Amino acid sequence: MSRGVISPAEWASPRVRRPLRVLQGVLLAALLVVGLGPMLWLAKAAVTPTQDTLRSPLAIFPHGIDLANLATAWTRVNIDKYFLNTVVMAAGSWLVQLVVATTAGYALAVLRPRYGKLVSGVVLATLFVPSIVLLVPLYLTVVRASMVNTFWAVWLPAGANAFNVVIVQRFFANLPREVFEAARVDGAGPFRVFWSVVLPMSRPIIGVVSVFAVVASWKDFLWPLLVLPDPAVQPLSVRLPALQRYVELDVFLAALAISSVIPIALFLVFQRLFLRGGALEGAVKG
Amino acid sequence: MAVKILPRPVRTTAVRARAPRRRRGPRTWLRGGGLSTLVFLSPLLVVFGFFSWGPIIQSVVMSVQETNLVTAATFVGLDNFAAVFADPLLWTAVRNTLWFALLALLLGYPVPLVAAVLISEVRGRRGLFAALAYLPVVVPPVVAVLLWKFFFDAGPHGVFNTILGAVGLGPAQWLQDADSAMPSLVLEATWAAAGGTMIIYLAALAAVPPELYEAAEIDGASVWRKVWHVTLPNLRNVLLVTFILQIIGTAQVFLEPFLFTGGGPAHATTTVLLLIYDYAFADSLGGDYGRATALSLLLAAVLAVFSAVYFRVTRSWSTS
Amino acid sequence: MRSFLSATVVSCALVLAACGSGGGGAVEDEVNADGKVILEVAMDAGLEQNAVDAFEARVAQFEKAHPDVDVRPQEYTWTAATFTSQLAGGTIPDVFTVPFTDGRGLIERGQIADVSTLVAKLPYAKSFNPNVARAGQAIDGKQWAVPIAAYAQALHYNRTLFTQAGLDPDDPPSTWAEVRSAARQITARTGQAGYAQMTTDNTGGWILATADYAYGGRLEILKGDKATATIDTDQMADVLTLVRSMRWDDGSMGANFLYDWAGINQDFAAGRIGMYVSGGGNYGNLVTQNALKPADYGVTVLPLADDRDAGVLGGGTLAVVSPKTGEKTRAAAVQWIDFFYLGKLTDKAAAVLNAKTQAESGQPVGTPDLPVLDRATWDAQQKWIAQYVNVPVDQLKPYTSRMFDQPLLPEPARSTQDVYKILDNVVQTVLTDRNADIPSLLADAQSQAQALLDRG
Repeated sequence: MSRGVISPAEWASPRVRRPLRVLQGVLLAALLVVGLGPMLWLAKAAVTPTQDTLRSPLAIFPHGIDLANLATAWTRVNIDKYFLNTVVMAAGSWLVQLVVATTAGYALAVLRPRYGKLVSGVVLATLFVPSIVLLVPLYLTVVRASMVNTFWAVWLPAGANAFNVVIVQRFFANLPREVFEAARVDGAGPFRVFWSVVLPMSRPIIGVVSVFAVVASWKDFLWPLLVLPDPAVQPLSVRLPALQRYVELDVFLAALAISSVIPIALFLVFQRLFLRGGALEGAVKG
Repeated sequence: MAVKILPRPVRTTAVRARAPRRRRGPRTWLRGGGLSTLVFLSPLLVVFGFFSWGPIIQSVVMSVQETNLVTAATFVGLDNFAAVFADPLLWTAVRNTLWFALLALLLGYPVPLVAAVLISEVRGRRGLFAALAYLPVVVPPVVAVLLWKFFFDAGPHGVFNTILGAVGLGPAQWLQDADSAMPSLVLEATWAAAGGTMIIYLAALAAVPPELYEAAEIDGASVWRKVWHVTLPNLRNVLLVTFILQIIGTAQVFLEPFLFTGGGPAHATTTVLLLIYDYAFADSLGGDYGRATALSLLLAAVLAVFSAVYFRVTRSWSTS
Repeated sequence: MRSFLSATVVSCALVLAACGSGGGGAVEDEVNADGKVILEVAMDAGLEQNAVDAFEARVAQFEKAHPDVDVRPQEYTWTAATFTSQLAGGTIPDVFTVPFTDGRGLIERGQIADVSTLVAKLPYAKSFNPNVARAGQAIDGKQWAVPIAAYAQALHYNRTLFTQAGLDPDDPPSTWAEVRSAARQITARTGQAGYAQMTTDNTGGWILATADYAYGGRLEILKGDKATATIDTDQMADVLTLVRSMRWDDGSMGANFLYDWAGINQDFAAGRIGMYVSGGGNYGNLVTQNALKPADYGVTVLPLADDRDAGVLGGGTLAVVSPKTGEKTRAAAVQWIDFFYLGKLTDKAAAVLNAKTQAESGQPVGTPDLPVLDRATWDAQQKWIAQYVNVPVDQLKPYTSRMFDQPLLPEPARSTQDVYKILDNVVQTVLTDRNADIPSLLADAQSQAQALLDRG
């Protein structure tokens, strides 16, 4: 059974166990307040009339619940239509990021060309440049390629994520090389090794990159706002702020709550995938 | 019986003899799998080339131009850089950015680590802890800003002030006072980002071999000594990497000051990125884009130099 | 391999640099398959379905009257980052709207098209309200942008808080001294902020300018081509001293000071603010977005000092044409502006349709605004929409009965937003630093503003 700092013997002694339990209890309480609290507040505000939210934000339903908010939010904001756009946008970004990161990580960590260090360095260097100033040049690139109002304008730039490349590269570098050698001896070319040997072993890191990619895509609003001016293809993260001026605050909060439920629910379902099972271990090892 | 191997006499000649080197021509490259490597790298090269390096180079070009984004740009040499240095707000922004980075380091660096150590000792419900900690990261910025604006209300009935009032502390100014504005932003920024770092630490902690702890226990080490002498050294690489990533990230802080205070009160939370945004978009509507790119390049250069120095200095500390 | 890569990088750079941003030369008209000129027009984002239908109906009417034009609505909202990028990328609609404050800057930088000759041909070109028209004029007086809506600053107050504080809601303050004492009373009796002011996102400078103009001051003096900043004046010092006294001596400005336009509306609607200064037509946003109780709302004219230069700052909206348009597109664009935007003011059927649509969507009809053209046109328009007015007209009387008596002043002409930004800092300092030194703040702001004006 895996153990951490505390040995089984220490767990047994109350002198260690009690303070530790207290600390953990405090931590759990703090996490509930800090992590869950804001979400619960949003859920409450979603069904509270505007004036109540504005005048007494902490009060719990001083004038009753306004469940109609949810229905109004759903119809007025057409959440289902924009939700579909959000899903498509997230799916495409996820796929592009995965393809770029795994192929590049494989090439740089396993195939190791002579110019590998140069490529790694240039990729890392992109972390230094503030992305806000790239808004106009990137937009010009997208316009010239006639990608405006298509999802490609969001999918492709999402792939230029240096962080993904770095963690996948490290993970691959920590895989046992003997497996690759064995496959190569058996006559497998680099494509075969990638597809049949490396990828199956990388499920944990793929899970990690996937979660990061989907979460980032869900939250992204400035860039999609810019390149998806046609409301028919806009995701929720763009549509909701655009509507903020035209809908009442309580309906707006209800729409926000509904649109947040989905990524949070998805996250809670899939968190097993990467929060346990040593997914990131390979990426962070030595 | 050992065979004695006599050293071969080295023949020195007047002319330096060069052994014929095998040329690495295209055929060797092809045979060595060079083409397939390039194929594997092509998604990265295409995507980064068009959507990252290309725009970066374009912004370098724009930093020596003056443009109104409609008609053709004119070349102005280093005027934009001079204008940036002549701006009195620049030094305020640099000071504020350093202050934010320092506060974020003091608060946001140890907190995920401590939490991760505590969580890694949890038996059973570890997933719940981790999920709760990561939840703020999943929340979209639109929602987060809305919530925290209510929390930071400086009146006696603001959410935080009500809680403070319940324990007998007076209402705090939060964002309304030049001294407390930046710490308030750091609080929100830590809330929004600590979960991600914590997950990474959790994974690294799980990778520490238990045998090391057992060996320390045989030597009679207490819990605290085990953490200090086994856990932390094994986390060294991760800690070094997250440190520099945090510095790079906080040096580019933009969303928090932009959405919460607009750089106020009285420029107390104006950061370098906010200055860049103002140059590029806010007031001149693109007229000062050259200045924005000039300042971005300066920032990128500073970060690059800092990272290079950092890696050199920490090379002796890291184990890889 | 290294040199290969560096060569690729360098050549990419050269290609991209050659492309540059934008190009010179004449722009072609966009023409569709039938040979009609394509005109992309801005439509408000987030409209309800009936409003979208009404818009489409107007588009159909226009296309019938102008068979050689194909109108294509495009959702559009005025924000700094998206406007700049879209301008650079040429994806901005051919006709769109901007606030008065930004209009001058766009004209100065040549970021919109000069359609003044086409505008001059409109039937009412000479009947524009002169103070309103100035916002869309270049330095030489040519009308590059068409004003389509105008308002003046007003003092909004919460009638319920007034009553609770023992003040008469039908007799609001008419001098700044009365504002100060009313604020003090509201805070003393109700605990809420008596008076509040916007301070961020350039609105701080906007309101400070409003107060300065109400005292008879100005921000800039223009002599020919030279602009002189006049921020360090007695009037501005008086304004700041008043603000400082209310904040620190009376404590009547509450505890939150980082207000932008939306934030202060929100707090006012929540009943946390007794009085504040903003555009005269704010009632719309207060009710629609922030669920203000209509009975709470009151508005009166801005108190003006007894100075012959005192006046009230005006604002409004301009309709402009994108610079990346050809000749025929520009002609069609001005026709559209005339038909759609000014039609609501000059044509009875259009005005009635607009009012009806708004009323049906639950939007307020009849919020106070000012004439864009002449007074007679405005009076006629008010009569046409009278049956759809759904705002509490009696509560607006303190404002509507006196709004024409006040001199209307245009905003400062040069580098408006940048000067406002400098003043943001001044008012934020006064409100958050007890020991703020007003004379040195003003001197500093003056020199910064002057440097700005000299550069531009």
